[in-house]
Amino acid sequence: MLQCIFLLSDSGEVLLEKQLTGHRVDRAICDWFWNQILTQGDSLKLVPVISSPTHYLFQVVREGITFLACSQVEMPPLMAIEFLCRVADVLSNYLDGLNEDLIKDNFVIVYELLDEMIDNGFPLTTEPNILREMIAPPNIVSKVLSVVTGNTSNVSNTLPGATASCVPWRKTDLKHATNEVYVDLVEEMDATINRDGNLVKCEIYGEVQVNSNLSGLPDLTLSFANPSIFNDVRFHPCVRLRPWELNQILSFVPPDGQFKLMSYRVKKLKSTPIYVKPQFTSDSGTCRISVLVGIRNDPGKSIDNITVEFRLPPCVTSSDLSPNYGAVNVLADKTCSWTIGRMPKDKAPSMSGTLVLETGMERLHVFPTFQVAFRIMGVALSGLKIDKLDLKNPLSRPHKGFRALTRGGEFQVRS
Amino acid sequence: MAPPAQSHRSPSPSQPSGKGEVSDLKTQLRQLAGSRAPGTDDTKRELFKKVISYMTIGIDVSSVFSEMVMCSATSDIVLKKMCYLYVGNYAKHNPDLALLTINFLQRDCKDEDPMIRGLALRSLCSLGVANLVEYLVGPLGNGLKDGNSYVRMVAAVGVLKLYHLSASTCLDADFPPLLKQLMLKDKDAQVVANCLTSLQEIWSLEASTSEEAARERETLLSKPVVYYFLNRMKEFSEWAQCIVLELVSKYVPVDSEEIFDIMNLLEDRLHHANGAVVLATIKVFLHMTLSMTDVHQQVYERIKAPLLTLVSSGSPEQSYAVLSHLHLLVMRAPYIFSSDYKHFYCQYNEPFYVKKLKLDMLTAVANESNTYEIVTELCEYVANVDIPMARESIRAVGKIALQQYDVNAIVDRLLQFLEMEKEHVTAETLVLVKDLLRKYPQWSHDCIAVVGNISSKNVQEPKAKAALIWMLGEYAQDMQDSPYILEGLVENWDEENSAEVRLHLLTAVMKCFLRRAPETQKALGDALAAGVADFHQDVHDRALLYYRLLKYDVSVAERIVNPPKQAVSVFADTQSSEMKDRIFDEFNSLSVVYQKPSYMFTDKEHRGPFAFSEELGSLSIGTEPSDGAVAAQRVEANDKDLLLGTSEKEESHGYGNNGSAYNAPSYDASTTAGASQGHFDLVSIDQPSTLHPPSSFAIDDLLGLGMPAAPSSAPPALLLNAKATIDPNAFQQKWRQLPVSLSQETSIDPQGVAGMTNPQALPQHMQGHSINCIASGGQAPNFKFFFFAQKAEGSSAYLVECVINSSSCKVQLKIKTDDQATSQAFSELFQSALSKFGST
Repeated sequence: MLQCIFLLSDSGEVLLEKQLTGHRVDRAICDWFWNQILTQGDSLKLVPVISSPTHYLFQVVREGITFLACSQVEMPPLMAIEFLCRVADVLSNYLDGLNEDLIKDNFVIVYELLDEMIDNGFPLTTEPNILREMIAPPNIVSKVLSVVTGNTSNVSNTLPGATASCVPWRKTDLKHATNEVYVDLVEEMDATINRDGNLVKCEIYGEVQVNSNLSGLPDLTLSFANPSIFNDVRFHPCVRLRPWELNQILSFVPPDGQFKLMSYRVKKLKSTPIYVKPQFTSDSGTCRISVLVGIRNDPGKSIDNITVEFRLPPCVTSSDLSPNYGAVNVLADKTCSWTIGRMPKDKAPSMSGTLVLETGMERLHVFPTFQVAFRIMGVALSGLKIDKLDLKNPLSRPHKGFRALTRGGEFQVRS
Repeated sequence: MAPPAQSHRSPSPSQPSGKGEVSDLKTQLRQLAGSRAPGTDDTKRELFKKVISYMTIGIDVSSVFSEMVMCSATSDIVLKKMCYLYVGNYAKHNPDLALLTINFLQRDCKDEDPMIRGLALRSLCSLGVANLVEYLVGPLGNGLKDGNSYVRMVAAVGVLKLYHLSASTCLDADFPPLLKQLMLKDKDAQVVANCLTSLQEIWSLEASTSEEAARERETLLSKPVVYYFLNRMKEFSEWAQCIVLELVSKYVPVDSEEIFDIMNLLEDRLHHANGAVVLATIKVFLHMTLSMTDVHQQVYERIKAPLLTLVSSGSPEQSYAVLSHLHLLVMRAPYIFSSDYKHFYCQYNEPFYVKKLKLDMLTAVANESNTYEIVTELCEYVANVDIPMARESIRAVGKIALQQYDVNAIVDRLLQFLEMEKEHVTAETLVLVKDLLRKYPQWSHDCIAVVGNISSKNVQEPKAKAALIWMLGEYAQDMQDSPYILEGLVENWDEENSAEVRLHLLTAVMKCFLRRAPETQKALGDALAAGVADFHQDVHDRALLYYRLLKYDVSVAERIVNPPKQAVSVFADTQSSEMKDRIFDEFNSLSVVYQKPSYMFTDKEHRGPFAFSEELGSLSIGTEPSDGAVAAQRVEANDKDLLLGTSEKEESHGYGNNGSAYNAPSYDASTTAGASQGHFDLVSIDQPSTLHPPSSFAIDDLLGLGMPAAPSSAPPALLLNAKATIDPNAFQQKWRQLPVSLSQETSIDPQGVAGMTNPQALPQHMQGHSINCIASGGQAPNFKFFFFAQKAEGSSAYLVECVINSSSCKVQLKIKTDDQATSQAFSELFQSALSKFGST
C-alpha cells in the first residue's frame, strides 16, 4: 500500500503532495530523492524502485514530471508502478498533455482525481470513463458553460451510473448522433541488425485501438483472418475471454471513445522494410563515414517519416556530414540526426562525410549504433488482417472504418 | 481563538514565507464567512484555491484553520472538496481546531447526495486525531449500512483508518464482524474488496493478542471464502483482483484436482491488460504447483509468453519491474528460457540497470545450442562506448566460459579482447583469463602466449594487475620473460599503491624463484626487503613468512608456496540457493527487485503486514530509534570478526569449501598472516617496527577486533582534548603508519542521514564532541570522513575513518590509535556522538 504520492517538476520542485494514510510522509524524502537523481545525473538513469533510509520509493517519469510514491511496507512493485503509470495516463488525458504549468493550473482537479483513484493507499478505480463522470475534465465546453450559466462546479452532481452497472467501463445510457466505430492496427517493429547486415532479432509489438461512438449498449465481435500469427495477446478488461479461447474471436462491449482493445506480439519476422548500411574507414586520424538507406522489402506503400539517428563516439572532435537527400543536424551532445522524410522513388538516400578524431588516435574503434525511425501507412507489417467486425444488437447500421499503420520501434543498426 | 503554534513544517528560507499574504487571506476569509451574497462562492473558491496552492508549495497556512472551517458551510462540492483537503492536511497537528470540523463533516455525512456523504465520511476518517474517534463511530456505522455502494466502499476503508487511530474503539463498536458480513454479501465488488483489505489488516494485527482474530484470519483462507472470491473474480476491478489473487496465493488446496480447478479458473487472467494482475496470477500458479514438479515446469512454459509480452509492451519502469521477476525465474529454470535468449539482447539506449539484468539472464540461459550466438552478441557490447557495459559484458563472457564444457571458441574471443588495446577491456579480461586458467589449466599455453605480450605498464587497475602478476608467477616456466617483468615490477615497489598487488607480487616472485632460481634471485631479495619494510601489515607479515621459510628449508617453502594444484571445479556462488528460494517465496514483492529476501532490507518492526513506526514515518520527530539496533549489530560484527576476521577471509573460506588443495595468494593471507603476526610479536623484538603493542594486545587483536582489552578492566571514562589539532599532512602520515586497531560496523540514525545533505553538518556536530574532521568527501550514498581526536591528558591520538552509506544507514568505522588500551573506549565515545547526530 502506498503512503504518499508526490509530483515533482524537472527541477525537483514539489508540485503536489497527496498523503494517503494517517502516517504523514515528510517532504524531506523528496530532497533525498532529488539528491539521488543529481548524483546519477539523469532521472532516467535511476532505478524505478529504490529504498531510501525510511521508505521504499517508486518513481515513474513522464514528460519531465516525476511521479514519486512512498511506502514503508512490502507490496507488489509492479502494482505501484502500474498505478503510477495509470495516474500519469489519466492526468494527461484530463489535462490534454502533461507539464508543470498544466498541473499547477489544475491542481484542484489533480487532487480530486487522486482522491477517487486511491484510498488509504489501495488503488480504487483508474478507468478514465468512470472518472470522467465523477469529475468533469477542464475542457473548453465546461468553461464556456460555466461562464454562461454561472455554475462553475466542474463536478457532476450525480454518481456515475456505471458504478452500479454490470459493465463498469461504460455508461448505460449513451446517445450519439453519429453511430460509428473505427479500428486501427498500430504496429511497431523492433529490430536489431548487426554490422554484417544480418537480422539479429526482429519482432512486432502491435495494438488494436478502437474508437467507438455507439449509442446504447453495443455488443461487438471482431475476428482476424490469421489469428495464428499471434505469439501472445493481452486484452482490455471488456473482452470476453471464452470466445477467444474457443474461436479466436474478440467479443466485447466497448467503452465509449478511444481505447486499447488488445495488444499482441508477433515473433521471428524474417525481413525489414528498409535497410541502413553504415560504413567506417579510418585512416591516420580521420575517419570516412558513409551511410546508405534503401528499401529492402517493398511493403507496397510508401515509407515516410524516415530519420536515422546516431551518436558520435566521444573521441570524435569534429564532423562534416553531407547527405544527398534530406538534412543532417548535429547537436551539441554529438547526436546526429538525418531526416530523410519520404523515401524518394528515383534514388537511394546516402550520407557521407569525414570525422576528425582526437589527436593521437589513429583509428576509430568504437562505433555508434544507428536508431532508425520510419512510418508506413496502410500496412500492418506483421501481416495481421482483420476479417470482420459485427454489431450484435444494431439499432441502426453503424459506420465502420479500418486503418493500419506500422512504425519503427526500437529499430537499431549496429556498425 | 489563539492561532495555533507553528508546526514543524516551517518554510525553507528559499521560499517566500508568505506571512503577509496568509494574514491577508485570513481577513478576506473572515469577511466572507457569514456572507450570503450572490457570488460569494466564486470569491471563496478563489481564496480556497490560493490557500491550497500555498499548502502545496509548502507554506504553512494552518493559521487560517478556523476561517476555513467557518467558510465551509456551502453547497458547492468543489469548495467542499478543497475544504476537506485542507482539513485533512492540518487537523492532525491542530487537534483542538479539528473539533470545529466535526460538526460540518457529520452534517455532510447525512447529506442526500451520496457523493457528498462518501467524501465527508472519507475526510472524517482521515482527520487522524485520536481523541475525536468517538465521533467517527456513528457515521461509520451508518456508512456501512448506506444504500449507496460508494458510501459503503468509503466506510469499509474508514473502519481500517479508525482501527489505526484507536484499535479498541474499532473493536468495541463491533466493526470487524460487520465488515465480514458485508464482505460476504454485498453486491458491489469494490465494497467487498475494500472489506477484504481492511479485515486482512485488522485481523493479522490482532492475531498476536486475540485468538479469535487469529481464527478469523484463518477463515479468510478457508475454502468457502476463497472460492467465493474466485467465483466473483471477474466483477472486481483490476486492483481488487490483485488483492484477491494475493489472498489466493496463500491458500493451500487439498489435492491436485483443486489446484487444476483454480488454475483453469484463473488462466484467462494471464491475458489481462494490467501487468500487476498478470504477475499476481503467476504467483498463484507458481506457488500452487511447487510440489508438483511436472506441472511446475508446464507453468513456466505457460507464463513465459505473457511475461515476455509484458516486458516489451509497457513503459521502461514497468519493463524493469517485470524484468526483475523474469530474472528470478530465468535463474531458477534457465533451460526453459534457453530458446528465448534473443529477448534478452540489450538495446543500446536502455538504462544500465536493465542491461545488467539482461546480461545476467543471457549468461544463465546459455547452453550448447545457443552459446555461439550469445557470445557473438556479447562481443558486440564489449566494443560498446559504454564502459561499465563493456566490463559487464566481458564478465558475462567469462561466466559463460566457466559454466560451459566447450570453451574453445570463447577462449579465442577472450584473447581477442586482449588485442583490442582498450585499457578497461584488457583489465577486465585479464581477471577473467586468470579465473579461466584456474578452472581449465589445459588452456595455459594459448593464454600465456597472448598474456605474455601485454606490457604491464598498460595495466593499471589493481585487480587486473594482480591477475597478471599471478599468471607471471604461476606460469613462470612457460613465460620467457617472467622473471624480468617481475623484477621490473619489484623495482617500482614504492609506487605501487595497492596492497593486494604487492601481496601478489611477493608470492609471484617467490613462485618464480622456486622454479627459476638463478634468474629471480635478485628480484626475490629486493622484494623481500621491500616487503619487510612495508607499512601494510599483511605484506610485511607475508614477506617475513617467506623469508623464514626460505631460511628454514627451501623444499618446505616449495611445498607451501607452490604445491600441485587441482583445477577448480565450481566457483562459489555469490548468492546461496537457500536465499534464492527465499526470494522466490516472496515472488511479486520488493524482494525480487532488490534481489534480497525481505528480512535483509526490512526491519523487524516493519515485517508485519502493516506496521509503521512513528519515528521513521516522519523524519522530524526526534527520538533515538537506532540504539538497540546498534547494539545488536555490534554483537554481530564481533561474532563475525571472531570467526572470519575480514571479508577477504570470508572469500577464501569459499575456496576452502571446494575441497581442493588450491592455495591462491589470498588463501595464504588468511591462514598465515595471523600466525606470523603472533609469532613475530612473541619472539622477535629486534625488528625495526615500534608500532606494535605488547603481545597480549596483539592476540586480542587477532581474536576479536571489537573485544575490550582483557587486562584493562573497566577503563576510566575517556576525556578528549577539545582543542586538539593536527595538520592534514601529519594526519596522512600517521594514518599510514598506524595499524587499524578497531574496525567496526554500526548504523546511523536515519534522521542523521537526512541531515547529511549539508556536508558541514556532521563535522560540526562531531566537533561539539571534541572530534575534529580532517577531510571529507564522497557522493551520495557513500560519504567518507576522516576524524581526529586527542586524549585530554597525554598525547595519544585517535584517527578515524568513517564511511557512511546514506541509503542503508550503515557506518563503517576504522579507528587507529597509538594507545591501544583505550581504543574500545574511544570507539564507544565516537559511536555515541555519532548516534546523537540528527536527533539534536
